[in-house]
Amino acid sequence: MRKFIRGSLLIILPGTILFLLSCTQGSCFEETESYLKASFYKNSILTAPDSLTLYGLNTDSTIYNKTASIQPALIPLNASTESCVFVIQINGVVDTIEFQYSSYPHLISKECGYTFYHHLDTVPKYTQHVIDTIYVSNKTITNLNVENLRIFY
Amino acid sequence: MWRTFAYFISLLIFLNCSLIQVKAQDTIPIPLKIKVGMEVSGLSLYYTDKNIFKSEGYISVDLNEKRSFVLAAGYLDYKYSQYNYSYLNNGFFVRTGIDFNLIKPDKALGKYYAGIGLSYGLSRFSSEVPIFLKTNYWGTTSSSISRKTDWGHYLEASPGVRAEIFNHLSIGWSISLRMLLYTSTGNDLRPIYFPGFGDGTKKFTAGLSYFIAWNIPYKKINVVLKKEVKVDTDDNGDTDNKDTKGAAGTSGTGQQGSVIRQ
Repeated sequence: MRKFIRGSLLIILPGTILFLLSCTQGSCFEETESYLKASFYKNSILTAPDSLTLYGLNTDSTIYNKTASIQPALIPLNASTESCVFVIQINGVVDTIEFQYSSYPHLISKECGYTFYHHLDTVPKYTQHVIDTIYVSNKTITNLNVENLRIFY
Repeated sequence: MWRTFAYFISLLIFLNCSLIQVKAQDTIPIPLKIKVGMEVSGLSLYYTDKNIFKSEGYISVDLNEKRSFVLAAGYLDYKYSQYNYSYLNNGFFVRTGIDFNLIKPDKALGKYYAGIGLSYGLSRFSSEVPIFLKTNYWGTTSSSISRKTDWGHYLEASPGVRAEIFNHLSIGWSISLRMLLYTSTGNDLRPIYFPGFGDGTKKFTAGLSYFIAWNIPYKKINVVLKKEVKVDTDDNGDTDNKDTKGAAGTSGTGQQGSVIRQ
């Protein structure tokens, strides 16, 4: 026992230093974006649109461009502002949706760093050309796969 | 009357002789010590990584031949940065608990320890995120989280070994297995690293500590070595009690200690 204790004392310190020196920075494998997740319902049945176009008002790029079978739509919010307006085109018919929210930082992990979570402060405002109703199922928008909105069209 | 008195005196003399015999044959003197030490791997690692400065000192008082009361305190200054954020944390921690020596007293002799420590840790730290960047469809958002002071509570189990290699000087190592109980940071801004515990994003952490300590004997106790009693069961189901050791008081396996304090 005494030999074991003495031997272990001599081995453990250099071993630990070598082990710690060999450590490399980890990689991020988690979802880092907090999307607002919107599911589509047609006649109260979960149905993806045949064609979906989505982009932010006054922006150059699209999030979806006449894309089929999107369910749910992942809508990124702007953490620098307190509201966002999106143009949404469902099966060729255009509507707009405005979200008002507050943003706060959230640590994902040491490897991934920080993201913003959001909280919907009000019920979204929207036009009703193709959209019938929008129902908020979860006001807290995180990087988890949890539905936030139901869009009935 | 005289006969009763003579009988009583004889009985006292007999008991006294018996006790002297027990002390002479079945006890072993064990020095109880106050140990003042420090954790050295943190300082060693600082030379390889200037972003983590850890220092820890402790005082340990032997309560008896098996248990020691431990009070440790330390300081951490931690910096971390990567492509999308930087993080700072510094603060203090205290940890208190009991070390249990699992080596039998006749082998430990107050010099050797192989056992486990159980302790509670309390950490007080300030953390800050000077900058973090988030890029998405809307572009890159730059933000920061201002300095905030928080508490952390945790439990620690630390199996390890120690040995007195020179007179009064001992070294040892232990594995620290920690369980986070609570931090006041909330769920969104968990500490990436905090004093005493380590990675605050995880419920459990592990680490290795390497100690050097100065031992100051403050008391000597005599530990009675009990003879091990072996219970044999023969074919008839009868049981016999047999001493496995010959002469009482010799050191070796099969002896357990109890204490006579001086």
